[in-house]
Amino acid sequence: MLARSALRTARSAGAAARNATSRTATRPASTSSSTAEEAASAWKTTALGSGATVFAVGSVAWYYHLYGRNVDAMTPAEEGLHPTQYPWEHQKWFKTFDHQALRRGFLVYREVCASCHSLSRIPYRSLVGNIMTVDEAKALAEENEYDTEPNDVGDIEKRPGKLSDYLPAPYKNDEAARAANNGALPPDLSLITKARHGGCDYIFSLLTGYPEEPPAGAVVPEGLNFNPYFPGTGIAMARVLYDDLVEYEDGTKATSSQMAKDVVEFLNWSAEPEMDERKKMGWKVLAVTSVLFALSVWVKRYKWAPIKTRKIVYSPPKQKSILDQLPKPDKKS
Amino acid sequence: MPGISSSLYNIFLRRNTVMLGTVFAAAFGLQLAFDAGSDRIWDAINKGRQWKDIKHRYVEAPEEE
Amino acid sequence: MPALTTTTRALARTWTAHQLPAARACTAAVQQTRSVSEVSSTSSFDSPFKGSGSSTKIPSFAAYRNKSGGETGPKVFSYFMVGTMGALSALGAKATVQDFLVNMSASADVLAQAKVEIDLAAIPEGKNVIIKWRGKPVFIRHRTEDEIKEAEDTKWESLRDPEPDSERVKKPEWLIMLGVCTHLGCVPIGEAGDFGGWFCPCHGSHYDISGRIRKGPAPLNLEVPAYEFPEDGKVIIG
Repeated sequence: MLARSALRTARSAGAAARNATSRTATRPASTSSSTAEEAASAWKTTALGSGATVFAVGSVAWYYHLYGRNVDAMTPAEEGLHPTQYPWEHQKWFKTFDHQALRRGFLVYREVCASCHSLSRIPYRSLVGNIMTVDEAKALAEENEYDTEPNDVGDIEKRPGKLSDYLPAPYKNDEAARAANNGALPPDLSLITKARHGGCDYIFSLLTGYPEEPPAGAVVPEGLNFNPYFPGTGIAMARVLYDDLVEYEDGTKATSSQMAKDVVEFLNWSAEPEMDERKKMGWKVLAVTSVLFALSVWVKRYKWAPIKTRKIVYSPPKQKSILDQLPKPDKKS
Repeated sequence: MPGISSSLYNIFLRRNTVMLGTVFAAAFGLQLAFDAGSDRIWDAINKGRQWKDIKHRYVEAPEEE
Repeated sequence: MPALTTTTRALARTWTAHQLPAARACTAAVQQTRSVSEVSSTSSFDSPFKGSGSSTKIPSFAAYRNKSGGETGPKVFSYFMVGTMGALSALGAKATVQDFLVNMSASADVLAQAKVEIDLAAIPEGKNVIIKWRGKPVFIRHRTEDEIKEAEDTKWESLRDPEPDSERVKKPEWLIMLGVCTHLGCVPIGEAGDFGGWFCPCHGSHYDISGRIRKGPAPLNLEVPAYEFPEDGKVIIG
């Protein structure tokens, strides 16, 4: 249709149109022959284009120079050494926590860390089925006393802990903790692997990274300890993990790196106790949705097949011209 | 083969309600099978790491004493 | 400014010089027909829409047709695929809905406090003890022989909320019920009221020694929670 109408318009336009096109066609040929003007304009074109390019690149570079770069408030030493990346087994996509290591790590926490650090988001009940049996957790809970609800005369009494209670904090409040630690607040460890850059790597490096003595030239303020991994290098916490500090019930040798590794895995568990279940559920969801996706692609093709292979054939009826039905006077004349 | 497929068709697919029932029954069975299967694979990958693998060390100990 | 205009003119001129053959192809009649014939002769796919009416050649899809013959096999297969997709979608939908519903149920810390264990040995006969359970007070009454007799001998059929005493206790000496008045939720006072049981000070409902409503606006007896005696001298509520 389009082609035919184009043909028709072109034909009706006739020679005029052809003339017009040929005239525009011939004009550039004639101008290109005048060499002087062409040379001058070509030089100007090049100059303008290059100038614009230089200006654009230059302004971007200037802007980047002003605003594009990172601004570091601290020197790299003050930011702390980047922790080594360790191949944590429990961080692999298809691995759960090693619950034996969690049990060891909890022992390390209880015997070492708990003297200063709280773990206030972990109740005893969540230890059950992950780290301890019910009886062990109950016994552990009963070692500590908790406040009761006010009794008949409004006094608050003490009762032994229950499974629904949370792990006790070493200090009553932040102020007491600061007062006992030269003004430094030992952070709560419940979410510490999520709360620090580098996570597990950072905490492991920090725990095992205390040098025997600070390097020459390092300034360590009074009451602080030198640790290259700690931002600012001066950390209030002293080195705590020494070989054979705790005795593991399963016979694992309690080297300081073993203890650090176990306690880091335990702290990762306390920050993400849902990790085992989350990874498993994630794989299941991926499996189902990938099969579902493949099936839906197949069903789409199946449903579209008749539409895409449909043939629409139009065979026009034999047309008789109305002129044929008229009497034809020509024949006789 | 044609005999099997035509009898399958006649049993499960001929009537819409029957097919719907088949689909939901299959969904139920599929869920059980999928959960059981994925649990087995998961436990095989994480053998010895999960609590249920080490629980016996701590549960049986008090009974012996 | 003049330099700019000359350059733009030059640019425009070169552009038209390049474009012109194409423009000519569009307008010139001879070239139009030639290009169509070129397409129809070189293309592997014969479209019925180009050229004259003689080139109406219908493409064949025979290569895509099922070769096995018979329609049952492919039909069963495609129904199987569609049905499997339906089944998997149903699984996903069920899991989603279930997750939302589970989300609405009590969280783990609430459930951990849902059961309360109480040592009954500390409660002497004829004494009330009020404990907190799920944020509500629970009355535990160690009833005396006389009180048990009184509660059982009451003509319960004619009460507002008829209930025999045996249905309200598991062990007759221990009456355990929620201390929330069934009228508007006040906490009744023990060992008070006209019937020797509880009395609600808010609107004056009187409960007897079995916790049944006897007088006042409250419509129902005091509620009895689920509880059990796992061993002697201990009760677990919840």
